[in-house]
Amino acid sequence: MNKIYTLSDNIITSLGFTTEANFSALKKGISGIAQTTDPKITQVPMYTSVIDSEMLKNEFTQYGDCSDYTRLEQMMILSIKKALSKTNIIPHSQDTIFVFSSTKGNIDLLENRRQDIDHKRIKLWALADEICRFFGIPNKPIFISNACISGITAIIAAAHLLQSGKYKHAIVCGGDIISEFTPSGFQSFKAISSNPCRPFDAARDGITLGEGVGTLVLTTQKNLVKESNPVIFRGGANSNDANHISGPSRTGDGLYFAIRNALMEANKSNKDIDYISAHGTATLYNDEMESKAIGLAGLENNPVNSLKGYWGHTLGAAGIIECIAGIHSIKENCLIKSLGYNELGVSIPLNIITKFETKEIKNFLKTASGFGGSNAAIYFSEESAD
Amino acid sequence: MENSITKYCLIDSTKVIVDGKTEFENSANESFGDYMKSIYKHYDLKYPKYFKMDNLCKIAFMASEIILKDNEHIKTFDPNRIGVILQNSHSTIDTDLNYINTIQDKSNYYPSPAIFVYTLPNVMIGEICIKNKFQGENTCFIAKEFDTDFISEYVNNLIDSGKVDICLTGWVDYVENNYIATLFLVEKIKENQKDNISFRPENLNRIK
Repeated sequence: MNKIYTLSDNIITSLGFTTEANFSALKKGISGIAQTTDPKITQVPMYTSVIDSEMLKNEFTQYGDCSDYTRLEQMMILSIKKALSKTNIIPHSQDTIFVFSSTKGNIDLLENRRQDIDHKRIKLWALADEICRFFGIPNKPIFISNACISGITAIIAAAHLLQSGKYKHAIVCGGDIISEFTPSGFQSFKAISSNPCRPFDAARDGITLGEGVGTLVLTTQKNLVKESNPVIFRGGANSNDANHISGPSRTGDGLYFAIRNALMEANKSNKDIDYISAHGTATLYNDEMESKAIGLAGLENNPVNSLKGYWGHTLGAAGIIECIAGIHSIKENCLIKSLGYNELGVSIPLNIITKFETKEIKNFLKTASGFGGSNAAIYFSEESAD
Repeated sequence: MENSITKYCLIDSTKVIVDGKTEFENSANESFGDYMKSIYKHYDLKYPKYFKMDNLCKIAFMASEIILKDNEHIKTFDPNRIGVILQNSHSTIDTDLNYINTIQDKSNYYPSPAIFVYTLPNVMIGEICIKNKFQGENTCFIAKEFDTDFISEYVNNLIDSGKVDICLTGWVDYVENNYIATLFLVEKIKENQKDNISFRPENLNRIK
């Protein structure tokens, strides 16, 4: 079976427009979360992580006319451009497949924010078509909308497509924007934190939403990879709680099955894992469920963090940008502090990372769970970590 | 060995077809809600949660129940190895618009969690998994039209690589009273029975 190499990546969030800017903020413990009273986002003051519109405009005008593209399309095109600029991949080739993930796509069009843009692009596939047209992609893109696990599902689906040999390269791009739609929905669930979110902490009281886009470029072609010991995809799996459409499982069994199946495909055991990047949304029930799943997998002593304290929950981007951060934790041999954590607030005593530390990291596991009872786990490690 | 369709169900605005046979017709030309209620009664379903679902989930759930109700065979599988892989075009646009109506007028602002939860297309997979206790691979793909090449390749790969033993898959879409669900139960079967349809794009194109 083909080996799947991670070739290049990009993260666009409130913390910056490059992976380097984002990862450097993470290493320093800097958060992009701030309070907003923007009436286009929320009726009451709310903490969120949003990208500066002027900065986005300035960055995007190098590549296209802002009046032709929605906010999310601009972010996605920028992110893919920046990720591809570090590679020799030609996107307009039969060898390249695009895999997209988003929960709500161009939801601002449905709120009538942009009268000048064809409202057909509210359809997720039409958003993908628009991006593919920009890059001249001949292959039909794949689009995944799997709630909060969308980004991880997209990477797993892309890796499995590459393993089959049908394509040589996959460009996995996922994102969501913050408009009025998603914040009001989570507010109606009383799930928004009154302060920046505090994953796994005893005082946690809900999520902080964020917007962002991540792009991860995967390839089967080792000759394109510059590093001597690149990070590779080892395995991944999805599962379902079969319990409740919006409430996490009380036992963590669904997420545990995804972790177990990802490890099985990776041909690794729980002893190999150096670091777990958890979903850690900071809702009472998600973090409790996740601690149980991590316990069931025998991973309670492994260092774990949630990155939601830096850029909030970025929905369709979350799985991708958090995998990219994990890949860079391997490359730079470091563990990122779980921001917002002070005192253990889950029933299984997890080994939460409380300060930035440099340490040899070869293997990492990323997990996520979401509405619809969905769970996902994905395993990356250095090529030499067999 | 090739994977086979062991049962399928198509629901559109005029009829319900199961394994090639028309089992129910919308002869009274009922609206979506009434038509679904008639199908619900026809198949003698008893699942109160159905009435809380949005229209996309209702039609997906209905097609899944017609395939899985009283199906003793499915109970012989490990729930972790039963997959549900669906594809759709309009995501949850119908419910998105209903939800937007609850937040757009600030003098009449009443966002509802009961509506908001249905603004994610994979929730229809969640509903099917909850009813049947399926815990395996589950993904919602979005495409302009039912991409039978991709879905057959993806699902065959899930089965052939040993990630699932059986998979409920197909196409479900709902927008402005245009709706369709075409679901297939796909598995590897040991003996070659001549009625079985191979899970190939050409067969899906013939049925859809």
